[in-house]
Amino acid sequence: MTIEKIDAKLCDGCGVCVNSCPTDVIRMDEQRHKAVIRYPQECNNCDYCELDCPRHAIYVSPERHSPLVVGW
Amino acid sequence: MPRVVETDVLVLGGGVAGCSAAITARDQGLSVTLVDKAYVGKSGTTAAAGMRFSVFNPEFGDNFDDTMRMITEGSGYLNDRVWTEICIKESWQAYLTMAGWGVEFPVEDQREGVFVPKNKVDSPFASARIIRRGVPPPLRRQCEEIGVTIMDRITVTDLLKSNGRVVGAVGFQLTDLEPIVFRAKATVICTGSWSLRTVGAETHNMTGDGQAMAYRAGAELTGGDMHSSHHGSAEYPSWRGGRAARAIYRRFVDAKGEVIPYGFEVGPAVDLAFHRGRGPIYHDLDAATDDEIERMWQRQRNSDDMESRRIGFDPRKRGKHMISGGQDCVVGAGIWPAGTDCSTTISGLFAAGDSLSIRSAAFGGLPSGNIMGVRAGNGAVKYATEVGMLPVADEELAGALKTMLEPVQRKGGFSPRWVTQLLLNTMVPYYVLLIQRGDRLQAALTMVEFFRDHFVPGLYATDPHELRLAHETKNMVLGAELCLKACLFRTETRGSHYREDYPGQKDPEWLAWIKEREDNGQMKLWKQPVPREWWPPRLKAEQGGTR
Repeated sequence: MTIEKIDAKLCDGCGVCVNSCPTDVIRMDEQRHKAVIRYPQECNNCDYCELDCPRHAIYVSPERHSPLVVGW
Repeated sequence: MPRVVETDVLVLGGGVAGCSAAITARDQGLSVTLVDKAYVGKSGTTAAAGMRFSVFNPEFGDNFDDTMRMITEGSGYLNDRVWTEICIKESWQAYLTMAGWGVEFPVEDQREGVFVPKNKVDSPFASARIIRRGVPPPLRRQCEEIGVTIMDRITVTDLLKSNGRVVGAVGFQLTDLEPIVFRAKATVICTGSWSLRTVGAETHNMTGDGQAMAYRAGAELTGGDMHSSHHGSAEYPSWRGGRAARAIYRRFVDAKGEVIPYGFEVGPAVDLAFHRGRGPIYHDLDAATDDEIERMWQRQRNSDDMESRRIGFDPRKRGKHMISGGQDCVVGAGIWPAGTDCSTTISGLFAAGDSLSIRSAAFGGLPSGNIMGVRAGNGAVKYATEVGMLPVADEELAGALKTMLEPVQRKGGFSPRWVTQLLLNTMVPYYVLLIQRGDRLQAALTMVEFFRDHFVPGLYATDPHELRLAHETKNMVLGAELCLKACLFRTETRGSHYREDYPGQKDPEWLAWIKEREDNGQMKLWKQPVPREWWPPRLKAEQGGTR
């Protein structure tokens, strides 16, 4: 149901996906200069990051998946 | 001291309504700051728009009375007729305005030109094609070109008031928690609809923040009693494709293969079939004509082709596709407009787009969003010019900042993600808001009030991302409460409001809107009657002289 991977080998750190994500799932790893999946729980499967990535480095899975969120 | 941003007009939310308001105000020479919690140009429902742009033009043979009747009957006679007329008649200007701002309306069929003929679409009007996700970027470019100050990735949490007027807002940076104080002569809320984070709906960003802020500031709201049923794929619940196909071709069959008849809306009929134990329910493409299949295929190619190909969905392969049970994803409560300038019941506060409730009057989301945005922009300019910048009391500002940062300053508490999950489990199943009954609504309300009283005051965040979640969760809980109370209040069945314990439409008793407002810490609900001249013609005749 969620963003599955950002291929670090393909990612050139352009940051387009960070702005594409409406729910702040993706952040930049400033040291490595790569986009990383920081908050996967908030992915709403809109596919915008995958559609916008100029390097085709992102994959959003369509598989059925229901996250189990526990209190603590 | 926190950072202070001073601006003539503050616009919250950067979709079609927000950008339209910002451009309109900036064009008249005022300073405008446009704030979005994500990124202007990619945010909100506007980013997901990818079908068509409805236009009304008598030169195409469109008939005003027919159009008005269709919208009025579809809304169960609850649409605001003044706004319906505005939205229909100004849609052509909205098209010209948006085209002038650089929004592309592509020509796909040279014989047809820009406009899809009405016999080719599932509406009785011509409409312009738009490019999926192609609408917001030109709006952002236009804002930038004319000097609107855009501030992305800022979560605004509350409005600031002074002597009963809205004079700005407070928010924080998503990257570093930096608090920001916005001081504005006029504020425009364009933060979109009030939805719940339902699986399969890409509306997880629309948590009703603007409506919640307006409610806390004392504005009158309305709605929450009408619903939007959402069916997805049972096999791939989070896949958003197939929606176009279901909109074009509406044959649904139950487990025994019996066809489910439906009225104006597909949702309630299918939800009732589930409720009566007739599931699973299938979208039956085997019985479609070749022409319908072709239209579904064309629509898919222009909208969700990538996602559809990924799971192997192609309408040309036909088949019966199991759909998921009804879920409600939109709370629906919006800010009550005090005038056609998109003012609200609080001075200094304007609203447009899905945040403003014009009560089912809209004629296409994008054109109506633009129309309201332009009107809100003009209203804000007039107000800002007349009133000027008002001071904010120190206590008011300190209180808003304290409330904003509390979740991240606590040493522990409740996870916003967990509370959101509990809220969804309570609200989303079809038997709460889609097929309603007083006892079930009350049971859900009991839980929501518990979340409000016990979890919300203790929401805990460890970083800016979670702080945003905490405020969104708080706003969703408020939205759920407004919605459940409005549903309990409307003791009849009308439109998408279906009560098992109150079957049938009650006219003229419930030819009324439900208004909601905070009153001394309590949620107050009351009826606002629909003007008599807007009643159904037959009822007016029956009741003639009994006034």
